[in-house]
Amino acid sequence: MEYENRQNDDIVRMVNIEKWFGRVYALRGVDFHLKRGETVGLLGDNGAGKSTLIKILSGYHVADKGDIYFDGKKVVIRSPRDARRLGIETVYQEQALAPNLSISRNIFMGREPVKGFGIMDKKLMDEESMQALQNLGLRLRSPDLPVVTLSGGERQGVAIARAIHFKAKCVILDEPTVALSVKEVNEVLEFIREIQREGISSIFITHNLYHVYEIAERFVVMARGKKMTDVLKEDVTLDDLSELVIKSALVE
Amino acid sequence: MTNQESIWKRLIVSRSLSIFVVFIVLIVLFTVFSPQGRFLDPENLKVLLAYGSEFSIIALGAGFLMVTGEFDLSVGSILVFCSFAFLKFFGLHLNLFVVLALTIGVGALLGLLNAMITVKGQIPSFVATLGTMMLWRGLTLWFSGGEQQACDVSSSPAFVSFLNGNLGNFFPIQAMWFIVFGIILGVILHLTRLGNWIYSTGDNADAARAMGIRTDIVKMLSFMVVGILCAFVAGIQISRVSCFTARTGEGWELKAVAACVVGGTSLRGGIGNMSGIFLGAFTISMIENGLVVLRIPYFWTYVVFGLVIIFSVLSSMYIERQKWAQK
Repeated sequence: MEYENRQNDDIVRMVNIEKWFGRVYALRGVDFHLKRGETVGLLGDNGAGKSTLIKILSGYHVADKGDIYFDGKKVVIRSPRDARRLGIETVYQEQALAPNLSISRNIFMGREPVKGFGIMDKKLMDEESMQALQNLGLRLRSPDLPVVTLSGGERQGVAIARAIHFKAKCVILDEPTVALSVKEVNEVLEFIREIQREGISSIFITHNLYHVYEIAERFVVMARGKKMTDVLKEDVTLDDLSELVIKSALVE
Repeated sequence: MTNQESIWKRLIVSRSLSIFVVFIVLIVLFTVFSPQGRFLDPENLKVLLAYGSEFSIIALGAGFLMVTGEFDLSVGSILVFCSFAFLKFFGLHLNLFVVLALTIGVGALLGLLNAMITVKGQIPSFVATLGTMMLWRGLTLWFSGGEQQACDVSSSPAFVSFLNGNLGNFFPIQAMWFIVFGIILGVILHLTRLGNWIYSTGDNADAARAMGIRTDIVKMLSFMVVGILCAFVAGIQISRVSCFTARTGEGWELKAVAACVVGGTSLRGGIGNMSGIFLGAFTISMIENGLVVLRIPYFWTYVVFGLVIIFSVLSSMYIERQKWAQK
């Protein structure tokens, strides 16, 4: 009975996912679930399989075995397009934005509103972009600025504003705080709190336990293609978590 | 900041500024140094606009494609192959507009083939189109025996005036086509959603794919635009000279790259605009014409091309750095 309830609460449920890359057994029957409105920290050493798992969810890889349920329905995700149509939005370090394009062109990339004959409604794009950024607490001078002129934190803000604006149901944050200054990290964590306030589920992948401990409600630790630990925040301290990550990397 | 100010500012700091300066300086130089100011003579301008537009139209397509991050080194060979195709269709005694339409179909197919090799084969387009450049040129030489062949289109005055006539008494229609294609491609690139997909594909293909853009299809369309423009120019050329020449378009591939780069287009894609490409294309055509008018031996043309390329790219880099330094 309790299990049933938990299933209905899930926005994402991945069951017994397996993935091979040639002879490398990258994922060995991983179960992963994410509740509505929940933020899960996905942890593990390099090569633990967390990127592979997430890339299966976002459509870059297709699993060799296993099922994915989204919003209660069984789904097949074959491309980033499929994932995006479901409402899965990715905020990747390098893969989210086109640096030389303007902020508004980035926010509406692939979903540009048109006035007819394929002509973009630039005014609408500019206004809504600025509004979306403001909702996030980001005040930028102009929607025409190329993204390359923004700071690292502001760039993550643009990608997150885009996810919120298009009402994503699940946001994948892949190392959103890597290579940022302390001030920018705080900015980005604030953006992620906004995602939480909007009630959007998110998966926060990182190496930095301090950043994720502040913000996530549950932690999943992976190692060598397997899920090692799945633990609620109230059940662990930061030190426990750190030990768990190190131990699971050393097991075997 | 008022809107007008910002438009003005953007114009000043845009990458196409340097090509605009080069363009003006060259006009002044050619005017001052040509004997009896012959450069600005209406007869010469007519020649410049009529002949120069043939290359310039193709350069527009090359620039459009370059924004997606791809090259086409086979433009000259597509041109000559399409000329030959035109000749063969002409031999079937069809209406000349039908002949042109069929030729454009061939051009689009050759563009599509370049795209398939590049996209499906996952080969850099530089290599893929280097291959097709040699392939189509070689096949055309083989089929044609490398000889000129008459293709007299004067039987259809409507066709000749469509591709090789004048607007009013002066303005060569080729230049009108150059402007028309420039505007069409400019509108697509800057105002439509397809344009945003093209920029996104060139700037960060991973991001574009993650946002659901079909980058393969965007690239295919862009390669086909180049093929179509080459075929159209094949029609223009034949209507001008009334014959097929196996050597047409030789060396145009690198001149086209030069025109785009001079016009502020990034070789890596994602950066560039149509007005810059347009001016770049026109400048390259103008240099060839201007040096002839100045009676400077032809081999100097390449010296000037080289200097113009290096100067304009250096200055646009400089402007770029200034621009970011201000922010």
